[in-house]
Amino acid sequence: MRELRSELTRLNRRGIWLGWLGLMAVFAVLINTVIYTIAANGSAPPGGGPGVAFPSMATLESSSGIVAGVSSAASMFGVITLSFWAIATASDYSTGLIRLLAAAQPHRWRLLLGKIGALLIWTVLATTVAVVVNLAAALPSAEAAEISTDFWMDDLVSEIARAWLTSFSASVVWGIIGLVLALLSRSSAIAISVGVGWVLLIETIIKTASSDAGQWLPGTTLTALAQGGTDDLSFAGAVLIGCIYAAVGLIIGLVIFIRRPITE
Amino acid sequence: MLTSIIETDTSAASITTDGLLRQFGSLTALDRVTVTLPRGGVVGLLGPNGSGKSTLIRILLGLIPPTSGQATVLGHPTTKPARYAGDVGALIEAPSFVPGLSARKNLLSLARLRGLPTTRVAEVIRIVGLEGRENESVRRFSLGMKQRLGIAAALLPDPALLILDEPTNGLDPAGIVEIRQLLKTLAAEGRTVVVSSHLLAEIQAACDYLVIIRFGELMFSGPMGELLDKAGARIEVAPEHPADVDRLRVALAAAGWSIEDDSLVVHGSAADAAALNRAAHEAGITLSRLTPIDESLEDVFLEMTAAPTRNPVAASQGARKKAATNA
Repeated sequence: MRELRSELTRLNRRGIWLGWLGLMAVFAVLINTVIYTIAANGSAPPGGGPGVAFPSMATLESSSGIVAGVSSAASMFGVITLSFWAIATASDYSTGLIRLLAAAQPHRWRLLLGKIGALLIWTVLATTVAVVVNLAAALPSAEAAEISTDFWMDDLVSEIARAWLTSFSASVVWGIIGLVLALLSRSSAIAISVGVGWVLLIETIIKTASSDAGQWLPGTTLTALAQGGTDDLSFAGAVLIGCIYAAVGLIIGLVIFIRRPITE
Repeated sequence: MLTSIIETDTSAASITTDGLLRQFGSLTALDRVTVTLPRGGVVGLLGPNGSGKSTLIRILLGLIPPTSGQATVLGHPTTKPARYAGDVGALIEAPSFVPGLSARKNLLSLARLRGLPTTRVAEVIRIVGLEGRENESVRRFSLGMKQRLGIAAALLPDPALLILDEPTNGLDPAGIVEIRQLLKTLAAEGRTVVVSSHLLAEIQAACDYLVIIRFGELMFSGPMGELLDKAGARIEVAPEHPADVDRLRVALAAAGWSIEDDSLVVHGSAADAAALNRAAHEAGITLSRLTPIDESLEDVFLEMTAAPTRNPVAASQGARKKAATNA
């Protein structure tokens, strides 16, 4: 608990508030503008790439249309989450603060669990901001694109809850990946570059080369998780693989953090 | 052997190391260092850049394990740092904080990590003289202010052992005096303060006990006075009549005294003054001057860290004797 409170104190700064929550809000507005504009123009949804999943007109007009932006921007939200988990972890090394922290609390697993707990709380906050901004942006975007919102009030609460939960779950796994990359590299720049480069380049190449193997990769899995399942991967499958990624990531992170000497 | 000392006499030592070896690949950062530091007082940790001081501090704080050997801090092995972490405060290398947070919030996060009351933050801010600046972002702090903040962070747990790496780095002269006084006050309250520094005059002014490391090897460990006495004790003598200079040199050399070059500087401490006077008197020479020369820590340190052998005291004395013989 002490470690959690300490980490929350360090995360409570303007850069995190504006950067993390601000980017989530900006992307929530942006994705709504884009998906409704594309749907209204009647052009075919762009495809390809993990996380790039534009909803059809039918989806936008259904009861889940009001939260379609949350699912569509899942990878964007994931990358933002990965980045801030990586920044919060690697900056302890780049500032040298890790020496003070580890000297004050030699049980390093407690330090790491405190950090993860604090970042989970921030991810709850960031996901909530994304969903709330999405709700605020969806209606004017739909009206501007002259898309029917007649069914949006059906199952409103359950649709919002589902969108929040799946987006949050996917973001947490993204965050854990960012944490592990930061612990390995001890550099937020390297961790973010590797994370984003993987999603945008490497995973796309692998998926193009082998669509079967691509279904199991992080970007595709977490997109399926955020969207409640896709044609390639069921929701249950995405949950299972996502849990495996999270568990393996946490184990690797703990082992690295506990066993690796703190030198420079 | 030292294990038994550790088991039986831990109360007298703040830090012990026994054959402490730390290697980074082919580089030996610490080479079988064995040292016992007393409890209470200010201990100076001296050594040139890359001598292994920071490595030693990191091992003591449990940040890195030694390759071999063992160490204790406040009677507990460094393999169990959780047992003493609450009694140890440290400023390790440069002060490290979250730049975007205020000084108070940075300290608050560390106080919360240690389970300390919030009121302790205000206390340490007052102790290091940062009152009125505590709500400013650390990003805007000068190096000196960051140093003060680093010392404040080290003081948070009200530690029995304080380890400070270059605590006066970046401070102005008034700040250096202030911090020196603070360290002495803390030591006077019964704490052990270990100060790693390159400011030799500062170490000489503040420390009671000294550890010198070079290339990972222990060069000296003991009370400050002992080092100055051993390595630098010299006496300048002069005869009443200048014509007696050569006769005095011969007489003192015959009596076994080591004399430096062409001068009449004899190796010996103030306690040797009477014997010198007697030797001159027996040769029929009256001395007009018999002045002990105080060598500064800087002189000793530079001589010691430049010496090629492992025993610099012997090396420097040997060099002087050789010079005297040649003359």
